[in-house]
Amino acid sequence: MNSVVQLFLTNFREFVRDRQALFWTIAFPIVFVGIFGIVLGGGDEGASYDIGLVIEDDSQEATVFAAILEEFDAFEISRGLAVDELEQLQEGKRSAVVQVPRGFGSALRTGTPQSLQIHYDASQLTTQQVIIPVLLRALDVADRAITQTRPVITAEFRTLQAEKLGYVDFVMPGLIAMSVMNTGVFGAIQMVSLRERRVLRRLSATPLSVWKLVGADLAFKVVVLLVSTAILIVTAVLVAKVKINVENLPSLAAVVVLGGAAFLAIGFFLGAFAKTEQGFFAIAQIVTFPMLFLSGVFFPLDGMPDWIRPLITALPLTYLTDAVRQLMVGGAPINAMSINVVVLVVFLVGFLGLAGRFFKYE
Amino acid sequence: MRPLIEISDLTKSYGSLHAVRGVSFAVAEGEIFGMLGPNGAGKTTTVEIIEGLRDRDGGRVSVFGLDPAKAGSEVKGRTGVQLQQVALYPRLRVREVICLFASFYDRQANPDELISLLGLEERRNARVGELSGGQAQRLSVALAVVNVPELLFLDEPSTGMDPQARRNLWDVIRGFKADGMTIVLTTHYMEEAERLCDRVAVMDYGKIIALDTPRNLVHEHFEQDAIEFSSTMDWSISELRGLDFVSSATAQGSEYSLFSTNVPGTMGHLLKFSDAKGLSIDGMRVRHATLEDVFLKLTGRTLRD
Ligand SMILES: Nc1ncnc2c1ncn2[C@@H]1O[C@H](COP(=O)(O)OP(=O)(O)OP(=O)(O)O)[C@@H](O)[C@H]1O
Ligand SMILES: [Mg+2]
Repeated sequence: MNSVVQLFLTNFREFVRDRQALFWTIAFPIVFVGIFGIVLGGGDEGASYDIGLVIEDDSQEATVFAAILEEFDAFEISRGLAVDELEQLQEGKRSAVVQVPRGFGSALRTGTPQSLQIHYDASQLTTQQVIIPVLLRALDVADRAITQTRPVITAEFRTLQAEKLGYVDFVMPGLIAMSVMNTGVFGAIQMVSLRERRVLRRLSATPLSVWKLVGADLAFKVVVLLVSTAILIVTAVLVAKVKINVENLPSLAAVVVLGGAAFLAIGFFLGAFAKTEQGFFAIAQIVTFPMLFLSGVFFPLDGMPDWIRPLITALPLTYLTDAVRQLMVGGAPINAMSINVVVLVVFLVGFLGLAGRFFKYE
Repeated sequence: MRPLIEISDLTKSYGSLHAVRGVSFAVAEGEIFGMLGPNGAGKTTTVEIIEGLRDRDGGRVSVFGLDPAKAGSEVKGRTGVQLQQVALYPRLRVREVICLFASFYDRQANPDELISLLGLEERRNARVGELSGGQAQRLSVALAVVNVPELLFLDEPSTGMDPQARRNLWDVIRGFKADGMTIVLTTHYMEEAERLCDRVAVMDYGKIIALDTPRNLVHEHFEQDAIEFSSTMDWSISELRGLDFVSSATAQGSEYSLFSTNVPGTMGHLLKFSDAKGLSIDGMRVRHATLEDVFLKLTGRTLRD
């Protein structure tokens, strides 16, 4: 037991006396998250969109329609002439422009179907995916109000979150999961470097067991992980104004420890096949990089094509990201929490076993 | 009593290179056993197989009656190892690394006593990466005895040490022996082998070519003393051998050695011979034969070529 304590202390000393390690594990993720926070923290918050409204009809119906649109929280309505608003759309200052043509009110009164013109920039994905559906719903509501048809079915939408979520609230938990993965996988580089510098060979001349060596390393990395994640969360809250569920913090810490340990075990396993630090770095990059895009760190997974889904479900980061996101901001779960936890435990145990099996002292 | 180490017909190849080609010897409890030989002779390979750090291709190895390839951790707990290449955590301090290694064993020496035994008091708080070569070597010896081992392996322990440090190390090693340790030591320095070892195995090209006490090795091969001289001119070895009382003659560059059964007689003849041939002699001295001479005689090469 004493040897595990001594090895833990050794890891600690080697770490704090190594400026580079300190930078990459603590400072770099903060800078990264900070930049994301600053870039996204402003405009996107609460997800409201600028909509231009051009009313060319002076009927009462047109006024009612405008009032209904303005009641939608998601829209920031500005009124103007068609030429002006379309120019604003060109310049990217409007997400869409709704044009109510002359004769709109009188046509409705006689029961003739009327169509509105909605101008938008088809190259803008958010507009297509978010604004258009909401606009259509708004039109529907306005339609019913004006024509006095009683809706038979109504739906009341309730989000899981108390407050509205923006992209920043989506991406921050993703970045934290990514940082946990990187700290874990790349954390195994110390072991590779000890092997490359033949320190492991010297250790192999003592009766020290592999499990104590790996266990002490794991324990130390978990502490590093908790500290760096805590700093990241504070940065995310302060800089990016991410709203987090405070009561979930203990469970979040547990998930971070579990996920970090699983990724470190994967790192140890990969490390067994690398002769040099550079070699390990390359292998670790190849393994971690695709996960950034296939595990829902930056984008929701709903839009992914079907053929890639089996791959997505096979990646450990998918489960960690989902778990961290659920615990931090709520958010639509991909899996139940218990599935995320079970999968991460399986990865941890499996890769730890493989790492021990393939461990080489030289 | 059974020897502490017994190996027989040990072989080891690296690809097509036969590093160890059928080595057999035994080391008795309490002795200092030396392995002398030039670079690449197979000393480190042999020793590291006994330590359980390398696999062997063939032969039997027994340490404390156990096979180190199978009972690794039991053997490792009772032995101390100093590897030829020093490799340690570079950012750890001297005292920290000693405490770390001590924690791996049940039996632990006092770290501060080890530090002063090896003369590292002034460097106790220095980082390992900042030690000089000789200091790192001394730390490496200290780490080899953190567990007060019964059996100690030292692979070229005095490499990189200044003459004073080397002599101090010899005293330390004699102290280990006095405490009852059995020691296996490899070296290039015949003086180290002669002064320290109870028995010496001379190794070359993966084989042991001679094994005895240093005194017996020298006496077995040389009953005579050597006359050495240097000269920038070309002497004929066969003519030198023909001089009276000369039993053998060798040349290493401009250094010539004559072994003689009658040193004053040979000297007189040598001076007459040089006068007659017009050859000049730059410096002449007489010395006893050493292990170096034994090695040269057995292999035709010097220990450090
Ligand atoms: N791991 C290895 N892989 C390939 N060849 C090796 C390896 N280790 C040693 N050798 C080769 O085996 C031979 C014996 O090496 P060894 O290290 O045992 O010699 P040595 O007597 O200790 O030499 P030195 O005095 O230089 O330390 C050398 O030719 C060396 O190049
Ligand atoms: Mg060697």
